[in-house]
Amino acid sequence: MREKATTLYLGPQHPGITGNMMVRLKVEGDTVVKAVTEVGYLHRAFEKLAEQRNWLQTFTLMCRFCVPEPDPVEESYARAVETLEGREVPERAKYIRVLVLELARLGSYMLWYGGQAGSLGLYTIGQWSVGDRNYILDLFEELTGGRVYHMYIWPGGVRRDLPAGFEEKVLKTMDYMEQRLKDYEDLMFDNAIFRKRTQGVGIIEPEKAIEHGVVGPPLRGCGIKHDVRIDEPYEVYDKLDFEVPTEDGCDIWARANVRRREMHQSIRIIRQVIDQMPKGEFYNKIPNPQKWRLPQGDAYERTEAIRGEVGMYVASDGTEKPRRVHFRGAAYVHAVTLLEHVLVGENIADVSAIMNSLGTCPPEIER
Amino acid sequence: MEELKKNIVNKITGHFADAAVKAYDGNRVDFTVKKETIPAILFYLKDEMGYNHLSHISCVDWIEEKEFELIFILWSYTDHIKVFVHTRIDRENPVMDNIDMIWRQANTYEREIKEMYGIHFEGLEAPEEFLLEDWQDMPPMRRDFDTEAYARKTFWDRREARADAQDVRETITKRTGEELPDVAKKYTR
Repeated sequence: MREKATTLYLGPQHPGITGNMMVRLKVEGDTVVKAVTEVGYLHRAFEKLAEQRNWLQTFTLMCRFCVPEPDPVEESYARAVETLEGREVPERAKYIRVLVLELARLGSYMLWYGGQAGSLGLYTIGQWSVGDRNYILDLFEELTGGRVYHMYIWPGGVRRDLPAGFEEKVLKTMDYMEQRLKDYEDLMFDNAIFRKRTQGVGIIEPEKAIEHGVVGPPLRGCGIKHDVRIDEPYEVYDKLDFEVPTEDGCDIWARANVRRREMHQSIRIIRQVIDQMPKGEFYNKIPNPQKWRLPQGDAYERTEAIRGEVGMYVASDGTEKPRRVHFRGAAYVHAVTLLEHVLVGENIADVSAIMNSLGTCPPEIER
Repeated sequence: MEELKKNIVNKITGHFADAAVKAYDGNRVDFTVKKETIPAILFYLKDEMGYNHLSHISCVDWIEEKEFELIFILWSYTDHIKVFVHTRIDRENPVMDNIDMIWRQANTYEREIKEMYGIHFEGLEAPEEFLLEDWQDMPPMRRDFDTEAYARKTFWDRREARADAQDVRETITKRTGEELPDVAKKYTR
């Protein structure tokens, strides 16, 4: 007898889903035959609000686009505004920005460790990594005053200079992280369950990857070496020595390995940044924000976040307020058309692991 | 870099007579074309020039000029150049060609732009709602959509929004009828 397809609603409240969204699955037995992403639970109309605020007030909205890793969004916005205006950024600010971005990357990968392992039932890693992420959040708290949202990278530079003794604290935390990463890797990548559940699951064919606009670790997990940090180096990434790891598996295992290796590169970058950081100004002061007019035109700047390329399009009509601020999130592409494509033929139990490996982040889809 | 930029400008203006070029410093080239040319120029850029990464599609409402502007931002993984393709469409009758057969992810952008600006993409295969639910009003990202009036109309039964000069303690006293303690009175205006 032929099995009849059943509809299964995964989310919006489901421990395996990566936020406020839903995937409507059509399943036959255990196999997904159709998947449809449904969003609309989280719309906060930031882009509409931005049209009614001045350029500086808009900056405070920007970090809210993505909860786990807000800094690349701020960075994209700050750089887009600077490009539009032609504003120079002091050298020290560029180094501090890279430091913040890499710390944010490390912190979000810690959260990803928890999500990826938790989606396969390995809860210990998540408890360890989310605990250790607090050491990075402590650094952010000391530097910016905020743990999750920092509102630190703004047009013209950064909001304040590094506090006294901050560099030593960062280096100390990095030493600790490096030693802890080994523990996570032993627990996750030497685990037979993790290996069996991820190898050959959630495959993205390399030829489909570019066509679907895949970016970031999922693209590098297909063996294609593209990273905004090397393709279009921003800030001081062209002066730093780091590698962009790739894997050939095209599956969850490959993407997890790319991320594992990237964490070590982040630590390497942070050490170099601390070593090379010049002294001097950290902020090129903007005029009175109430009267700060940007020239007519538009700009689009991209930054590499843990989910891939995130970008910010800004258009100005020559007044104090933006005409349009439009954010491009990696998850906007990954979690809708790509996810619907990848999930077909997979097992229900693997859906949330695949979502985690693609870096699904609903706040980026609806801003 | 300048060589590559010159090459792309020559090829595009040679193939598409209506393409207006705007030059920028760095790795950016802008073309402005008529809306009918959009699918052809995007196909050409992708298949012939190697601009195979669609980075972004954005829409801007130029209400004063009674036009919508659509911006397609492409990236070449080999040339490392950003290409912006701009087009303007009539605001009164916003119809546009669908391009999701060129890049699958364009479908998501088009669904959002359709809801938020009311631009009709011909042949777009996405009948379902995307972000909004049961939306009867004007598309909300249009410049003439009045957010405050909408909020008052929709949430008429909620209490007044927090005005800047409002004192929270007085409001609570008014609502509950309770007397303020002496300690708090000192701080009320």
